[in-house]
Amino acid sequence: MTDIKAVELPKWGMTMEDGAVDEWHLAEGQPFSTGDALCTIDSSKISNDLEAPFDGFLRRIVARPGQTLPVGALLAVSADPSVPDADIDAFVEARTGAASAEPAPASAAAAVPVAAAAVPVAAAVSVAAVAAAATTNGAPTRAPAAPLPGTLLVPEVLRGAADETVFATPHALAYAREHGIALGAVTGTGPEGRVAIKDIESAIVGAGGRLPTRTRADRSGPARSRADDSAVPATPVARRLAQSLGINLHDCRSTGTRDRVCRLDVEEAARRFGLGEHSATPASNPAPEPARPENAPTPVPFSPMRRTIAARLQSSVQTAPHFRVNTEIVLDRVLALRADINAATPGVKVSVNDLVVKAAALALRRVPEVNVQFDEATQTVLRFPDADISVAVAIPDGLITPIVRAANRKSVGEISAELTDLATKAKAGKLRPEEFQGGTFSVSNLGMLGVTSFDAIINPPQAAILAVSAGIARPVVESGAVVVRTVMEVSLSSDHRVIDGALAATFVGELKAILQAPTQMLV
Amino acid sequence: MNEKSPLQRQSDIFDIVVVGAGPGGYVAAIRAAQHGLRVAVVERAELGGVCANWGCIPTKAMLHGADVAHAIEESAALGFAVAGVAFDMGSLVGFSRKVVARLTGGIASLLDANGIEVVRGSATVAGKGRVRVDLPDGVGRDLRADHIIVATGARPRSIPGVVPDGDRIWTSTDALRPADRPASLVVIGSGAIGVEFASLYRDLGTEVILLEAAPAILPVEDAAVSAFVEKQFTARGIAVHTGVSIDSVQAGPASVEVRFRTAAGADVSTVAERVLVATGVAANSEGLGLAELGVRFDRGFVVTDEWCRTAVAGLYAVGDVAGAPCLAHKASHEAVVCVDRIVGEPGVHPLDRDYIPGCTYSRPQVASLGLTEKQARETGRPLQVGVFDLVANGKALALNEPSGFVKTIFDGETGELLGAHLVGPEVTEMIQGFGIARGLEATAESLADIVFAHPTVSEAMHESVLAALGRSLHWPPAKATAAR
Repeated sequence: MTDIKAVELPKWGMTMEDGAVDEWHLAEGQPFSTGDALCTIDSSKISNDLEAPFDGFLRRIVARPGQTLPVGALLAVSADPSVPDADIDAFVEARTGAASAEPAPASAAAAVPVAAAAVPVAAAVSVAAVAAAATTNGAPTRAPAAPLPGTLLVPEVLRGAADETVFATPHALAYAREHGIALGAVTGTGPEGRVAIKDIESAIVGAGGRLPTRTRADRSGPARSRADDSAVPATPVARRLAQSLGINLHDCRSTGTRDRVCRLDVEEAARRFGLGEHSATPASNPAPEPARPENAPTPVPFSPMRRTIAARLQSSVQTAPHFRVNTEIVLDRVLALRADINAATPGVKVSVNDLVVKAAALALRRVPEVNVQFDEATQTVLRFPDADISVAVAIPDGLITPIVRAANRKSVGEISAELTDLATKAKAGKLRPEEFQGGTFSVSNLGMLGVTSFDAIINPPQAAILAVSAGIARPVVESGAVVVRTVMEVSLSSDHRVIDGALAATFVGELKAILQAPTQMLV
Repeated sequence: MNEKSPLQRQSDIFDIVVVGAGPGGYVAAIRAAQHGLRVAVVERAELGGVCANWGCIPTKAMLHGADVAHAIEESAALGFAVAGVAFDMGSLVGFSRKVVARLTGGIASLLDANGIEVVRGSATVAGKGRVRVDLPDGVGRDLRADHIIVATGARPRSIPGVVPDGDRIWTSTDALRPADRPASLVVIGSGAIGVEFASLYRDLGTEVILLEAAPAILPVEDAAVSAFVEKQFTARGIAVHTGVSIDSVQAGPASVEVRFRTAAGADVSTVAERVLVATGVAANSEGLGLAELGVRFDRGFVVTDEWCRTAVAGLYAVGDVAGAPCLAHKASHEAVVCVDRIVGEPGVHPLDRDYIPGCTYSRPQVASLGLTEKQARETGRPLQVGVFDLVANGKALALNEPSGFVKTIFDGETGELLGAHLVGPEVTEMIQGFGIARGLEATAESLADIVFAHPTVSEAMHESVLAALGRSLHWPPAKATAAR
């Protein structure tokens, strides 16, 4: 079995809990090298290619396109062509826990009362995995309401805060913290009564609780820590090696100088966990280049980002009935305020857009019915106390909407510094998922490109987006006289399922009132 | 109003504009381009800055000539009878300029290959996020960027009453392009630049007088290093005077007279063919519009925080203009830190200005890192200090230069390397080893565990660490513990 390797669903960002294979780029029976794109994976917010973490040979595709799986789930199996199919079957069975949950993989899939997105017979997905998929936010299928047979059930007698004074392994302590288990109620069987994971597990079972069906393969072999190991003293080489082998530094001895974990310790742990050296690349027979006709167009494949943009905006237009409300805003006082702020404070460089974001945040507080997300699945409108404003940033191969959180509570200077920071990170591709996922309202500004008016497509699950155009000198009638003013048009696109015309008009009216008397933003 | 099309407008909008294409500026530009940002770098003179054009690189090319002169001198001891030796200063200067041309050409291709726009002209920071460039043809360009990095460097600074004239009274720039070898040269200032030129011209046959206001030459180095170099210089016929004050420098038609007062209080007048003023550098921070925006200065240098940010939003400064130590590698490192911080690269650490290695390419070479022994003692921490003399190093003997030493200073409690001070052959190539050790938080014990190749001058590094631990292998026990 040591020649058989698992390809697992990676965790991209702290908030990612599950994902689905969008498309496999390789077929069963093809070799691959480290770094090759194996498949495209969609999480709820982002789509990206999974690069092969090692050289191998794709023997079995387990996760079919469209099937939502939890992080860490088995996607595919890699093994040398010499490994018999029966071994691959056994590996898949062990990894997905299908054999222990159900008599046969086929019936495991069939027994699940969900029309799970095309789960094929060969894909031995565990009950827990499919159940998790079904409860995924935004998934079209819903889970049955009954408690799931594969989940952890902690009996009442064991519930409580994890008592850190109890002598326990770090792993056990982390487990107790995670699941709210009172360690004092668990009998330790380790040396000097030390509580280990297995003690907690037998206490749960003993008190009438239930253990989860394992979806990971780490049932076999020694227990592996999943605790944060960033504070474990280690040499730089050891830390990097451990990361690349997926070894937690808590699982390593520390025999290095000054009690640090050194390279040998990580290698020792790797042997203990049966993680052999990366096998040599199998002799690959590269497929012959398909002949291309002369003067063929250059195909520009959709990048993962373009695919995400395309899918999300298409779905938005198709599902959310858009309507627009426009207004013209006289910008002269905003421009004067901006000039004053910038002249008075060296450390601040405020743009008109920063002031628009701040004004929108205040308007959202006044008209909270617009500061919402719409959960289509449950037909629920989620109303938020703070305005988390997504700001569209154009980047070379698409656009992304980093978020100014609680913009209503931030000063104009703070919003400005944060937006500059986020926009630069966006262009450099350094945004973390939590910096662009979520948001309660969006602002898209094309003013710097000189447009006089445009409208925007709603960024679901939000219900409205503000399109901001350029400030342009125009004749304006004030007190019966024609004067020249800088006028900026804004257009609010709203989802009519959630927001009605009068409400949208009220919002843009409040926005206009704030921007035309902008000192309101400073208090 | 001139209405610009979106593409015209975008052609002047960048994510980062860098002012100055020296080792701080061009590295900042490349790093920013690596992050996928749109970058312009503005340069009024040559790409590569002082370092590549009038500093680090041409001096090393000239010093290579000095080494050849020295090799010819000692060749008899190795069995060569070299006769009819002649020297042409113009050829050596020509060689150094060729080296410079190759290197700066390389920088131009690097910038181009990274898609960086080089704007030739003089820049002013006209406002937050705005850089005005006055182009040589009289037309201007207004660049915009959320982030502006000032990397305008520094220039030679003289002392009051002494005005370099490019003829009798030189700056380092003039000393790199002399028409002929001067018969005699007074060098004022004995930092790395003064010491390198004193050594260079002495090896070429010039009579050299080296004057220093501080009590020792190479004032920032460990006292033992300063004393060693002074001894070596004196033995080579360089007249070294420390603790002097310069009264006047008067240029005549064929010579220049320097009057100074010695440490002992005697007034001395000396006449030489040329004088080199090497008394430090001044920041190129004026005329850029920085003060108007609210940038703060300290003795002309731009004040920045640990991420190279000035007091002005979106304005950063790296390298010499942002303060000492005025070294190319410090500028380049700050540039990377600054840009990485701007884009939110994980794991960026501020530069620790106390642990930037410094090298002086005189004969003997000097290289150091971290605290001097005096500074280390002043911290009050328990120390382990080791010294190994190159007289016991086989490779130094084979090079016919068995003089110099390696001194290492460790914190006795943590085992941390606090300082390393090397003087002797090849030490400027060896200091990196201690930099790596420090950077990876090696301890004295872990350094002692490393296998050093034999025979190398670098073995002295190992022996110095062993000496600090009281474990010298190639030095008799009694002397190993004796204070240097």
